[in-house]
Amino acid sequence: MRFTALGGLALAAALAAPLSAQGIPVDEAQAVLRTLVESYGPSGAEGPVREAVKRLLPSGLKTETDSAGNLWARFGGGGPAVVFVAHMDEIGWRVTTINDDGTLKLERLGGFFPSLYEGRQALVHTARGPVPAVFMPRDSVGRNPDRTPPALSVDPGTGSKAATEALGIAPGNSITMPKSYQRLAGTRATGRSFDDRVGVTALVLAARRLAKHPPKHSVIFVFSVREEVGLEGAAAAADALGTTAARVHAVDTFVSADAPLELHAYGLAPLGAGAVIRAVDNSNVAPAGLVDSVLALAKAEGIPLQLGATSGGNDGSVFAPWGVPDVPLSWPLRYSHSPAEVVDLKDVVALAELVQALAQHE
Amino acid sequence: MLIRTSGLAAALLCAAASSLPAQAPALDQLITRLSSVAAPTGYEDPLADTLMALLPRAARDRAGNVILVLGRGQPRRMVACPMDEPGWVVGGVRDDGYLTVRRLPGRVSALFDQQLEGQRVELLGQNGPVPGVVGVRSVHLTRGRTASDAPFTFDDAFVDVGARSADEARQLGLRETTPMVLAKHPLRYGTDLIASSSAGTRAACSALVRAATATPKGTVVVAFVVEQGLAGRGLLTAATEHGPFEETVVLDAGNAAGPVAMDSLRRPAHGEALGRLARWSLRDRFDGWPVESVSINDAAALEARLRAWIGGKP
Repeated sequence: MRFTALGGLALAAALAAPLSAQGIPVDEAQAVLRTLVESYGPSGAEGPVREAVKRLLPSGLKTETDSAGNLWARFGGGGPAVVFVAHMDEIGWRVTTINDDGTLKLERLGGFFPSLYEGRQALVHTARGPVPAVFMPRDSVGRNPDRTPPALSVDPGTGSKAATEALGIAPGNSITMPKSYQRLAGTRATGRSFDDRVGVTALVLAARRLAKHPPKHSVIFVFSVREEVGLEGAAAAADALGTTAARVHAVDTFVSADAPLELHAYGLAPLGAGAVIRAVDNSNVAPAGLVDSVLALAKAEGIPLQLGATSGGNDGSVFAPWGVPDVPLSWPLRYSHSPAEVVDLKDVVALAELVQALAQHE
Repeated sequence: MLIRTSGLAAALLCAAASSLPAQAPALDQLITRLSSVAAPTGYEDPLADTLMALLPRAARDRAGNVILVLGRGQPRRMVACPMDEPGWVVGGVRDDGYLTVRRLPGRVSALFDQQLEGQRVELLGQNGPVPGVVGVRSVHLTRGRTASDAPFTFDDAFVDVGARSADEARQLGLRETTPMVLAKHPLRYGTDLIASSSAGTRAACSALVRAATATPKGTVVVAFVVEQGLAGRGLLTAATEHGPFEETVVLDAGNAAGPVAMDSLRRPAHGEALGRLARWSLRDRFDGWPVESVSINDAAALEARLRAWIGGKP
C-alpha cells in the first residue's frame, strides 16, 4: 500500500515530455524569499507569514486557514491527493515572566544554540507591534568561560515592570532577533529563517504556475504552523486528511554538512548542486521506490536533484499512521537554525521546479 | 596599508570653532551614524572620513588621526577620542572560497571571538564593503555527537561570502589582511538607549564633535585618534605633533556610577607632551558586547562637560 503512487509516477517520468514550465527566474525566487524572510513568525505566532503567503499566492487562488492556523491551497480535480507541506514558523523565544526591573524571562521555541543570542539585538513581538530590546549578556566573562551562557534574559531598557508593560509587552509574547535578507556573491544569499521560508517560497512559486496549468488530479499545498515545536500544525492537517492523501512531500531544509566545521560522514549535499531528496532523517525513511521515481522525473525534466540523509524531523512523518508515504523534498542549507543561514538561489529554483513537476505528474 | 595625509599644518592653524558646520547633527543621530561605521584598529579610515565630512576644517595627521585645532595661544590643551574598535583581518583565502581570520591586536574578553559565531560580518574589501557570514555548526548535525562547551575562537571562524573558489573571493576585492568587523546596525531601544558594538566610544566621539563648536580658552586640540586599543600610537603622535600640552583628556566608555566618570591616568612612556592626563568615561552597559548600550542623556551630559572644559571652566 505504501507504494500505490509508484506506478503512475514512474510511468510519467518515463514518458515525460517536459511538462513543467522550466526556468523559474532567480529574481522571482529571490523576491518571494526576501518577502518571506523579512516577515516574522515564531512558532505559534505565524500570522505575519501567513498574510505574506496570501499576498504572494496568485490572486484568484482560494485559500483556507484551518483551526490550527495552517493555510491550505488546493489545485486540480479529484482522487487521492498529493500533499505538499512547508512550515511557516521559525525558531525563537517566548516571554514567560516580566521581572520587577522590567527585564524578561524566556523559554525557547525550537532547538538552537543559545550562545548565538547572547549579547544580541532582540525584537519582542507584541499585539501592538515589535518592540526593540537586547538579549542580555552574562554578567562577567572571566578567563575560562563556557561557550553556553546562563539562562538568557531580554532587556527592553525600561527599568521597571510597569514601564515594560506600558510598551505592550506581556507573557506569551514571542521574541526573535531582527533579521533581513542579504544577497552574497554569485547566487548565494544569507538570512535567518530560510528554514523553512525556502520551502514556502518553493510552494508559492509552484502555485503561481499550477494556477495557470492545474493538474488533473488533486494537489494540496499546506503551509503549516508550529513545526519547530513538534510538527503540530502538520499533525492537524494529517488528522484532517486521513487516508485521502496518496502521498505527502514535506518541503523543508536539508541540513547540509557542506561547511568546514561539519563532519562529512553524511549530509554532504553541496550548495548549488540542486534540490535534495531527504530520503532518511530522524523521523522518516522515504520508500526507495518512490525516491527512484522522483529521481527519474527530475532527470527527465532536467531538474538538478541530489539524494541524501541528514538530521531533524519533517512534517510529512506525521502522516505515517494513515499509511501515507512521505518523500521529503529539500534544498541544501548551511548553518541551520542560526542567524547566518546560507542558501544558493539556484537550489531554491530547482526545488520549486521539482514541486511543480511532481504536482503536475500523478 | 593605510593612506595617511600629513603636512597639513597650515590648515590646522586656520581651523577654528567658527569653521564648523552651522548645525551639527542631533546627538542621537550622530551616535547612530558613527556607530554604523567600521573602524577596526589600524583601519580607521572609514570613520575618519565620516568625521572629516562632519568637521570640514579638520585634517589628518601622519598617524591618521583627525585633528581640529580650536582657538590659539595659552593654555594648550588636548581632548582625544579613540576611533578604533576591536576587530579581525582575513588570515587566508581557501581554495573553496572560505576565508580564515586572525584577531587584530589589542585586549578583548575571552568571548570576543565567539561574537562571530553564526553572525553576519562586513569585510572592508579593496572594492568596497563585502557582506559575509561566519559559519557555525548546525545544531541538527551536532545532536548525538560529542560536543565541547569551549568558547568559539577565531580558529573556528570560516567566513562565507558566497564565493565558491579563491579566485571568486579575490575578485570581490578580498585578500589576506582585509579588515573585518561584525555587521553594524545600531538599535534604538528603551527610552533613550542605543545599542551597537563600541557604542560607548562612538557616543563619546559624538559628544566631542558637537562640543567642538564651543568657544575655547587658549588652544584646544580636538583629536580623534587611531589605534588607542593597541598602544596609543595615535594619541602619542597627536601629542608629539601638536603639543606640548598642559592637560590632556582622553575619552572612554565603561561601567560607571554616573553619566561620566573622571579619573587621572598614568602617563605612558614617551607621553611627556600630554601633560596632566585625565580619563573621562561615559557610562555604558554591556561593555564589549555587540549590544554595548549608551544613554543619549548620558552622552548629552558628557557634551555639556566637554563644552565647559573647552571654555576653560573646571
